[in-house]
Order: sequence, then C-alpha cells, then structure tokens
Amino acid sequence: MGRTVRTENIVLWLCIALVAIAGLVPIVVMAVESVRHNGHFTLDHYRELISSARFRPLFGNSIQLALATTTVCGLIGVPAGILFAKSDLSLRSGFMWLLTVPLVLPPYFVALGWARVVARIGTIASDWLFGFGGCVLVLSSVFLPITMLLTFASILNVDRRFEEAARLVSGWPGVLRRVTLPLSAPGIVFSIVLVFLLAMGELSVPSFLRYPTLPVLSFTQFAASYNFGAATAAAVPLAAIAFVGVLVESAFLRDRDYTFRSTGQTLFISLRHWKSPLAALTAALCFALVILPLSALFADAFSPAAMHEAMQRAGASVVRSVMYSAVAATILMALGFLLGHFMRGGRQRVLSAFTLALYTAQYCAVTTRLSLAGLMLIPTSLDEAGRLSGAMWARRLFRISIPLSTRTLVCAWLAAYILCLRDVPIALMTAPPGGDPLRARILTLMANGAPPMIASLCLIMAIASLIPLAILTRVIPSRGIIE
Amino acid sequence: MSYIEVDRVSKSFGERVAMNKLSLHIERSERLVLFGPSGCGKTTVLRLLAGLEIPEQGSIRIDGRVVASAGKNLVPPEKRDLGMVFQDLALWPHMTVQQNLMFGLNARRVQKREAEARVREMLQRVGLEHRIDAKSHQLSGGEQQRVALARALVSRPSILLMDEPLSSLDDERKRAIASDLLGLQSQFGFTLIYVTHDRSEADMLASRVCQMRDGRVV
Repeated sequence: MGRTVRTENIVLWLCIALVAIAGLVPIVVMAVESVRHNGHFTLDHYRELISSARFRPLFGNSIQLALATTTVCGLIGVPAGILFAKSDLSLRSGFMWLLTVPLVLPPYFVALGWARVVARIGTIASDWLFGFGGCVLVLSSVFLPITMLLTFASILNVDRRFEEAARLVSGWPGVLRRVTLPLSAPGIVFSIVLVFLLAMGELSVPSFLRYPTLPVLSFTQFAASYNFGAATAAAVPLAAIAFVGVLVESAFLRDRDYTFRSTGQTLFISLRHWKSPLAALTAALCFALVILPLSALFADAFSPAAMHEAMQRAGASVVRSVMYSAVAATILMALGFLLGHFMRGGRQRVLSAFTLALYTAQYCAVTTRLSLAGLMLIPTSLDEAGRLSGAMWARRLFRISIPLSTRTLVCAWLAAYILCLRDVPIALMTAPPGGDPLRARILTLMANGAPPMIASLCLIMAIASLIPLAILTRVIPSRGIIE
Repeated sequence: MSYIEVDRVSKSFGERVAMNKLSLHIERSERLVLFGPSGCGKTTVLRLLAGLEIPEQGSIRIDGRVVASAGKNLVPPEKRDLGMVFQDLALWPHMTVQQNLMFGLNARRVQKREAEARVREMLQRVGLEHRIDAKSHQLSGGEQQRVALARALVSRPSILLMDEPLSSLDDERKRAIASDLLGLQSQFGFTLIYVTHDRSEADMLASRVCQMRDGRVV
C-alpha cells in the first residue's frame, strides 16, 4: 500500500512540476523581466506603458474584441450545439463538422480568405474588414466551434433520465432552461471562458487586419524593437485578465461537478415545421462563415505552377509542422490524461491550485478536460475492484483506466495535434531562423509572396490539418438518440 | 370503458422485441403491480404510458382520450397528467429538494404562494420538511426515495408510475415507504402502476398483480 501511494504521489508531483514549468515559469520570468532594466529593479516599463497614449486604447480594443467575439460565439455556438445534439435537424452532422473547419486552420487563413472576398466587392467592404468588425467576424468563425462542440458534448453527457423526469411535467423549453442547460453549464462556461481568453490573446488576425491590440503591441516590442521589458509589461495586463477569467470560471464551477450514470444517449426534440427553416439558416451560416472565405482563399491554389513554387518554398517546414505538433500532442495527451486521472481519483483539491498553470500551459487544459470527461464515464468501482484485488496504482492505470479510455486518448491526441498545428504565436516566437513551421512561414511569405503561391501553401497546411479532423469525425461516435 | 387502455401495443429496440401486442386495462384508483423477471418489458409499459416511448403498433388511451397510436405520440408527456418515480430516482442534482418539487408546479403555472404551500405539505407528508434546502447528494438513500415520491405527487397527478423504486432499500425501509405510499394513494386517489420483480413488494402494494413474460401479460 505504502509503495502504491509513493508511486502515485511521485507521478502526481512530476505532472504538477511539468505543468508549472510549462505554464507558470514563463509567467514568472515575464514578470521579472518586466521589472528589470540593465540588471536593476525598475517600474519604468510599466510607467511608460501606462503613461503611453496607446496603452488605454489598445487595452480597451483587446477587451472589446474579446467580449464581442465571446458574445457572438455564445449566441450562435450554444444554440448550434443544442440543435446538433438534441434535434432532428437534417444534415446536422455535416453542418457541425463543416462549422468546425475554421478551428483547425491557423486563424489568419479565414482573415486571408475574407480579404480575397472583399477585394472583389470594393473599398467599403475592405474598410469594414480591416478593423474591429472584420476582427470580430473572423475570430467568431474561428472560435465558434469551441462553444458549439463543448455545448454539444456537454449536452450529450447529461443523463437522459433527468430530462425524462422533467418532460413529464414540462415542455421542451422549460426542460432545456431548467434541467439540460444547468447540467451542461460547466462545459458551456468553460467554452465561453476559453473563447474569451483565446480571443484576447490572438495575435495573427488583429495583426493581419490592422486592428491594434495589446498582443500586437507586445509582439512588436518583442520582435521588432527587441525591447523585452516593454513587451512583457504589455503582456502582464493580459495575464491578469486571464487570471480573473480562470477565477470566475472556478467560482462558477464550485459544487457543479455532476456525475451522470448513463450518458451518450439523449432525448431528441422534434423540430416539426421548424425543420426546414432551421436547416436553411444553418446552411446559410456554414456558407457565410466557412465556405465563402475558404473557397475564396483556395480558389487560386490549384494551378500547377503555384503548387510547384509552394512545395519549393514550404520545404522541410511541412515535416517540421507535423513532427513538432505530433510530439507536443503526445506529451499533452499523456500529461492531460494523468492529470484527469488524478482529478477523477480525488486529487481535485491539489490540482485546483494549479488551474492557472493549466491554462497558461494552454492546451494542457484542453487535454485534461477531455480526459476527465472521458474518465467520468468509467465507474469508479472498476478501479476500486482492481485495488481490492491487490493491483498497484500503475498496474490499475495501465490495465484498467488506459484500456477503457482508448477513444478518449485518441480524441485528446487529435485535439492537441490540431491545436498545436494551427498555433501561430508560439511558432513565431520560438522558431529559429530557417527552422520555422509552415504556419509561421506562410505568415512571413504573405508580405511579398504571389497570392496563388500563398493559396497553395495554405492548401497544403489545410490538408495537414484536415486529415486529423477527418479521423476525429470517425472516432467520435454519433449521438445516440432516444425517440 | 377502463380508465387506461393499452390495446395490442408492440415495441422493439433494434432486434429485441420488448413488447408484443400487449393489451392491458386498468381501472381508476386501481393499484396495479406489473411483476416479472428483468427484461420482460415492464419498464417499457411505464415508458409508453408516460409518453417517453412511442408504440410501433396499437394504441394507448387514458381517460377516454387516445394519447398514442402506431408511430405517433398524440399527447406529449407533460399533458398526460401523470407522475413517475424512476428506478434511479433521477433527482436533479443541481436543484435543492424544494426546487425539485417546485419545478413541475412552476411549469404548470401554479401560483408561487400556493406552490410553496403544496411543497411544504408534501414534504411534511413524507417526513422531509427539515431537508427542504438539501441537494440530492446530501440525502440518504431512503430520503432520496421519499423526495422522488413527493416530486412525482406534488402536482397531484391522476396516475403514478413507479419503476422498481424500492429495489435498493432494505426490507424495513421498503415497508415504511410502501406504507407511506398506500396512505398517499388513499388520500389522493391516484391510479398506481408499479413495476417490480420482487414478489414481496407486489404483495404489499397491489390490488391486482399482472405477471409479465417476454413482452406479454401471462
């Protein structure tokens, strides 16, 4: 028994140390750098930042952009998730995966696509796109799948018995409002906080659409002016907002950790005469947010000359993109699964203290949440039976939990792979000259490359991103419906 | 004409036939126990009566009104004037005991003051008025059973469906809740349809027992 506890604790603290190093150390280093100049303590960077005429408008722009994007994603993504999870809408599965496409691509692809669209319309549309409205449009279509998919998954997880009990006394609107949505709230709130944080930290879209925000300022200070102190000072307000966001989410989720006995089979809502209008509305949404910008982007991609040049320019960066993302996804999957396993095993309190680190280690929060959601579906009695039969923690992990979580692990790996593959800021910040992955190379080539060649490069990148999405559509089971 | 008439109803789940041209007549205020082994279709009868399943063939009539017939639910569950206690109770975990009971009354637009009075009265009746602000996970197994019973009855339905609700309790608690149930039935006069595979429960509660096997009454 003593040995069991030791092994478990060692692994737990190892995981926490890894997340802390990946998540908290950069924040600490950043904070220290922001108060140092020539080896001395100073608050000059903050003084300069706050007194700078640009700070308030930029900070306001970042908050406004994040709030507007979150609002749009919440208002469209949550109803869409409900519709796809619970209704008999025609072609719902196809619509859902189509709306998911922008999420798996680097965010600036959609912006580039819209730029091609407005170039054909005229100056007024172009003026609108290159500003606040355009940023909200692009970021909303990129992050909409987060609220939609997490709402979809959370609703499918609700035990249908609770809805059946409510259906005996109330119509569907009351059941959704009072039972289904409150029980799905943890997943929905998580998605909303995630969208807010991602939108606030987004660099490539505001930068491309020339909408000034704090991340753009921070990156410019870092990459163009080599002023690390000013760059980190500009990033600190963003970190503070992220911290507040995580606190709000944690406070909301307190006492809302529901465990459901039977999940995956949902009661369905018959749309009746609303079926055709809602299908038309969803099709219009798919066209406006996905088909229109991406078809404009890829329209020039298929010429042999452009494709040949793109292949030459891309070089080894395609392999690097896939390899880095695959390695990172494997680490994230393993770490996320272990953290989820510890949370499921009652170590929630220890790990709650590291929530911020989980968020700052960005995608680790996603794999941990996905793993935890999968592990919640496995009865604890299976692990307890293993323990009673004398199996040590590691044996139970490898012989019981992991074999029962194959699908969860595959989903977590694919999600992490997609997120790593599409990530732009980390690639821009960390890639050495000549060693950049494809999404960073496209961004740098966009300034002076021929549009058809850029389109071909985007197409190559899109294919690398869409293959795992296609696998995901096969791995994630379609909803079970109780009629 | 009987109060509830199930007329040659069939229902399958994929390859498995859960109910095969089953007919059943139940009188008003009767206490009918459906008794039989696991998988014989008892729960499906309750779910069809509740409107949570749709019959593939046959029809269901409640109080002279056809509520479902071959492939169609003509009256939605919330309009059938019935309460149900589920096997796993299905108490909403995010609500307190009071909120669990108020939900149905609010949905039926009962005045707030009257609804609160009815909730208090019902909780008093099942001996749980002191647990009004507790959430389901803070209650013992027996208390959860009584809250589920109170929730099903607070909107004063004409029919109460119970799906093996006492199966997880010891004999003493079973007897106590069965006695409560009989008292409530004589007070409110609802029609009770009770599903069990336990002969002793059937004997305690039934005014009539129907034995089921392979989706038919035998």
